[in-house]
Amino acid sequence: MIILHRLVRLVVVLLVVTFLSYALLNLLPGDPVTQILGMSATEESREQLRRELGLDQPLFVRYLDWLGGLLTGDFGESYITRMSVGAELAERLPVTLELLIAAEIVALGLAVPLGVAAARRAGRALDQALTALSFALLSTPVFVLGVLLILIFAVTWNVLPATGWTSLSVDLGWNLTSVILPAITLGCGQLAVYARLLRTDLIATLQEDYIILARARGLSPRRIMWRHALRPSAISLITAIGLNMGALIGGTVIIETLFGLPGIGRLIVDSIFSRDYLTVQGGVVLISVGYVLVNFAVDVVYAAVDPRIRRA
Amino acid sequence: MRRRFGIGFWLAVGWVGVVLLAALLADLLPLYRYDETLAGPPQTGPSWSHPLGTDGLGRDVLSRIVYGARVSLGVGVGAVLLGLLIGAPLGILAGYRRRAADAIIMAVNDVALAFPALVFALAVVAFAGASLRNVLIVLAVLGVPAWVRLIRGATLSFAEREFVLAARVLGTRDRRILWREIVPNVAMPAASYAFIGMAVVVVAEGSLAFLGLSVQAPTPTWGGLINEGRTLMETAPHVVLVPSVVMFLTVLSFNLVGDRLRALTDVRESGLEPVRQVTVSPMPVAEHQVRDTLLQAEDVRTHFATPRGLVKAVDGVSFTLERGRTLAIVGESGSGKSMLIRSILGLLPGSAVRGGKVYLSGDDLTARTPAEMRSVLGPRLGTVFQDPMTALNPVRTIGTQVTEPLRVHRGLGRKEAHAEAVRLLASVGIADPVRMLRRYPHQLSGGMRQRVTIAMALSCGPDVLFADEPTTALDVTIQDQVLRLLHQLREEHHMAVVLVSHDLSVVARWADEVIVMYAGKVVERGPAAEVFRRPRMPYTQALLQAAPRLSDPVHHRLREIPGRPPDLVDLPPGCSFRPRCAYAQDRCGQEAPPLVGVALANGAPVNGSGHQYACWYPRPIETAIAEGAESSGR
Repeated sequence: MIILHRLVRLVVVLLVVTFLSYALLNLLPGDPVTQILGMSATEESREQLRRELGLDQPLFVRYLDWLGGLLTGDFGESYITRMSVGAELAERLPVTLELLIAAEIVALGLAVPLGVAAARRAGRALDQALTALSFALLSTPVFVLGVLLILIFAVTWNVLPATGWTSLSVDLGWNLTSVILPAITLGCGQLAVYARLLRTDLIATLQEDYIILARARGLSPRRIMWRHALRPSAISLITAIGLNMGALIGGTVIIETLFGLPGIGRLIVDSIFSRDYLTVQGGVVLISVGYVLVNFAVDVVYAAVDPRIRRA
Repeated sequence: MRRRFGIGFWLAVGWVGVVLLAALLADLLPLYRYDETLAGPPQTGPSWSHPLGTDGLGRDVLSRIVYGARVSLGVGVGAVLLGLLIGAPLGILAGYRRRAADAIIMAVNDVALAFPALVFALAVVAFAGASLRNVLIVLAVLGVPAWVRLIRGATLSFAEREFVLAARVLGTRDRRILWREIVPNVAMPAASYAFIGMAVVVVAEGSLAFLGLSVQAPTPTWGGLINEGRTLMETAPHVVLVPSVVMFLTVLSFNLVGDRLRALTDVRESGLEPVRQVTVSPMPVAEHQVRDTLLQAEDVRTHFATPRGLVKAVDGVSFTLERGRTLAIVGESGSGKSMLIRSILGLLPGSAVRGGKVYLSGDDLTARTPAEMRSVLGPRLGTVFQDPMTALNPVRTIGTQVTEPLRVHRGLGRKEAHAEAVRLLASVGIADPVRMLRRYPHQLSGGMRQRVTIAMALSCGPDVLFADEPTTALDVTIQDQVLRLLHQLREEHHMAVVLVSHDLSVVARWADEVIVMYAGKVVERGPAAEVFRRPRMPYTQALLQAAPRLSDPVHHRLREIPGRPPDLVDLPPGCSFRPRCAYAQDRCGQEAPPLVGVALANGAPVNGSGHQYACWYPRPIETAIAEGAESSGR
């Protein structure tokens, strides 16, 4: 039942998001016909192209047409490049996915041990240092952090490439070196959020009766922290992973431009500059679907983490 | 005020003030023009004439940053105010008139979260034209959902409060309620979020500018400066570093100010603030003999250094306990009885200071390190807590939790531990132990859970079982079963039991000895039947009269203890119970009464195990309630 409910909501959200973005992009000033033919084209040729592209139809009809194609997996054809938007997105998607996954690995891989260490010594020097660090990270815009990391690792030390991308299928080693700086840049903001959340929840959990009783049973602090306290404290963290996915994907737009990665974010920026509506629209849909699916997955993970949710 | 905010807050306010002032007064400051090329040699570092150096075209970096601040802060302040202007009325409306508005807000929220805001902003600015006005409007609109959510939440929490409900009941007009009750209370969270919102907008504007989609050249923007500086990273890193640092400091300052303001209104936060430890000199232990007994507590003290002063939660409690006996510790909440148990077990929060000695079979437990204590906790000292709802880990199965101490302390394998767990659960009266092991705590009733926690406490065969209010959270019908079970297990395992309760009449039946605590001190002690039948200290008597008894006549009035439990930071001089005592006289306010013994009814001599009380004017034996006698026998 709850899954069905979520699915209905998911579909509604996607319909609204796609329609809103479709309408907004089309209502904004800037005409693709002008973009293609240039300012000097005759009114006749403009009219003809408009008919060819289906732009003479009312907005709503065009939206439904596009939506129908979307259901069969057809994202349409770019007005500008005359290439299939779907194929373009499919080619770019692996780069963005790898970047997102690597960023989450960086963020969680550091946030969990840091959060645990801070909670164990709440109020001590390490905890205060971590609080200060996460506050600083939260206040660093992603492009500022990226520029600084490039300055340090690529320009000064010259140990990692500043820009460029090697596909996973070409060379694993080069692929990893090209993803490492973008992933750290993107992951650091998340790291700060995750570590703070986990620390706060762990401190609360460690005051629960069942933790004091676990101590009264003579179990070691390490065992209590990792086996007893961590899982009940992970709910906010998991929620944050889902909710922050939107910000993270927004971050890829900047990161991919900054580091010159051929991903979805870069494609969207380029398409915005060339007024390539359908490609932008396709990218927006992909991002929204991704966001909604991740949050759907988060609900499933909840149940695995906390058995009390399973019965609902 | 200064102390509450901290130095960081004032530094942040100072920085924001400087940047804001510089942006406002940019035209009056003795600066180069921001677009004046070759104002100095290109790409030079800081110098007298160019404090922050020059960029690739020889333009003055300081001047460009100051003028860039106009864009950043202008958009930041403008977008936040505009967002607030649209979002606040909507949020108040949604919070005050719930139902339909609520549903709509939630739906919009769903959509807004799934919408890639930055991409949207990029598209709008790109298509509509990159101007200050467009950037400001887009960022303001994108901020509206967050404002609605925040204001709605704040309004909701106040719309349900008594003073608003009261005003509504009195027929005060809604508009009046909104302006006089809601708006002033929502103002503080809104102010705090305004600063955090400015940080968000400054970053967003920077992102747009970085991608070349904010205010266009020649007007400088911070994001644009960073983007331009990238190309000069190898030859003139200061061109990119300076705007980066300025931007970081500004965003950090906005966040800090917002965070501090939020901390002022957020009560929950204060509980998690680490208490700064005040050093307390180690407590001397009174001279004593180590007796040949199972458990001996000698002058146990637990003090907490709190911001308000020293709290003596446990203040000098001593007792001895033999195998096969039950000691009850009785008192109101806050009397220190639970802290006494935790003190004995060494399970105190970090801010506590412990004094006195605890011996287990003559072995000094207080001299052990936490790691050494772990070999005693479980195998020799078992513990059951008050609330079985919170005593079990909600995300682990009963099986995992019951077998864990068996595997850790007794080194059993998976199968052996499972078999032992089945046996343990059966021994505490659980009908289908194999199935029980697969279940989660939330699937069990309170009584069942308490049986499970008792089984866990017994799993390593302890010598002493500490039961802290084991029945308080349970149904009356279950209470007796659990106490009976504890008693039966005591006999089977030949243990000693320490039973903590606020209800003297409940424990009197199952205890051999009773200690009554008040404000951290023992005020009366002795054989259970004796204390129950002939309480001498007025507090003990009051405790007995406050508990309902089946033998009471119908509509019998319960007598509650007047007044409140004492403030442990600020105890009255003399006897701590004096302010609430009906029999107090002058002496009670001057000297604290010592524990003194009475001869037992059967003429037994006065010694450590006899009936003792701390009272200058004990109740005469005749007036003590006699009807308790029937129910005190087992």
